[in-house]
Amino acid sequence: MIHWAPEVSDDWGEVLAALTRAFEATRAAAQAGDSIVYVVHNDDLLGRRGAGKAMVAAGLLSAARTAALEGIKDGWTVNVVAFSAGTDPETVADWADHLIESSDVTGEVLRIGPDHIGKALP
Amino acid sequence: MNGVVVVTGAARGIGRAIAEKMAATGPLTVIGVDLAPELALAEQITPVQVDLTSQEGPAAVHQAVEASGVPLIGLVNNAGITRDSRLVNMSDESFRSVLEVNLGAAYRLCTELAPLMSDGASIVNIASRAYLGNFGQYNYSMSKGGLVGMTRALALSLAPAIRVNAVAPGLIASEMSMAIPEETRDRMVSAIPLERMGTPDEVANLVWFLLTPLSGYITGEVIVVGGGRSLS
Repeated sequence: MIHWAPEVSDDWGEVLAALTRAFEATRAAAQAGDSIVYVVHNDDLLGRRGAGKAMVAAGLLSAARTAALEGIKDGWTVNVVAFSAGTDPETVADWADHLIESSDVTGEVLRIGPDHIGKALP
Repeated sequence: MNGVVVVTGAARGIGRAIAEKMAATGPLTVIGVDLAPELALAEQITPVQVDLTSQEGPAAVHQAVEASGVPLIGLVNNAGITRDSRLVNMSDESFRSVLEVNLGAAYRLCTELAPLMSDGASIVNIASRAYLGNFGQYNYSMSKGGLVGMTRALALSLAPAIRVNAVAPGLIASEMSMAIPEETRDRMVSAIPLERMGTPDEVANLVWFLLTPLSGYITGEVIVVGGGRSLS
């Protein structure tokens, strides 16, 4: 299951709805034993595009780390792809597919593009 | 320092330690949210009992700040709950309630109170080491990660007037951790390099530092108080 973080405003209702959809999709995937990738914007992990988007992106990253721990025994993985502005969506999708196929990588955040270099670790 | 500091979840544990530490420090007024009047130990602590997840809750805190008659110099978002279970078994209600209390209430209160804050004010969000991932806490971990994201975004949008940081406690001796079965707790302690649980006062000391001008060049950071557990 590949879940792209939606663009949300700074309205809490939108944030909660976005996180709830991610939870429901992730729970269903985990129950089916499917691996999961969340796709977020690099800038949102650093809070550069507003509080709403930052809460969603950073919330998904933390949730991915916890879900990854829970999937170890059952053989499913959870990872995050974080892309920089201007990245070709097909490139993002290719990396997400690759992570879904790999059983060796879990709980990781893969950054595409250079925007994170020299910045805070998520 | 002279002014008012708002502390949520001030009735017990880490929140109570923070409220008491602030009340003992200089000419400060502390508004303790979720604090029953009979539990307010120091006279500088004004108890306010509201539901921060309601529309009216943050507005009531706003009114209490204005009624204090002194500038708002600090906000500590500490209120939090847990509803643990494995992701595959987690109910919609467990998910939603944890997100609403741990993240939504903190965000609403920041939004409500930021316009009241004076230059040089400081917000401290109490996250958790669980933001790095913790088995059986998908909801809690997501809420605390969200709090970290909110911290970073507000640190950027409220600069240079207001600093915003997060503190991420690990295993702290509090009501919440004492609810963990003893055998599990002992196993958790054995994985901590400092070989013990932290105390609420040790978290309060860092929060106090982040609220004061001593930390005036620090914003947008997440500081873990976890005895080295993130390495072991």
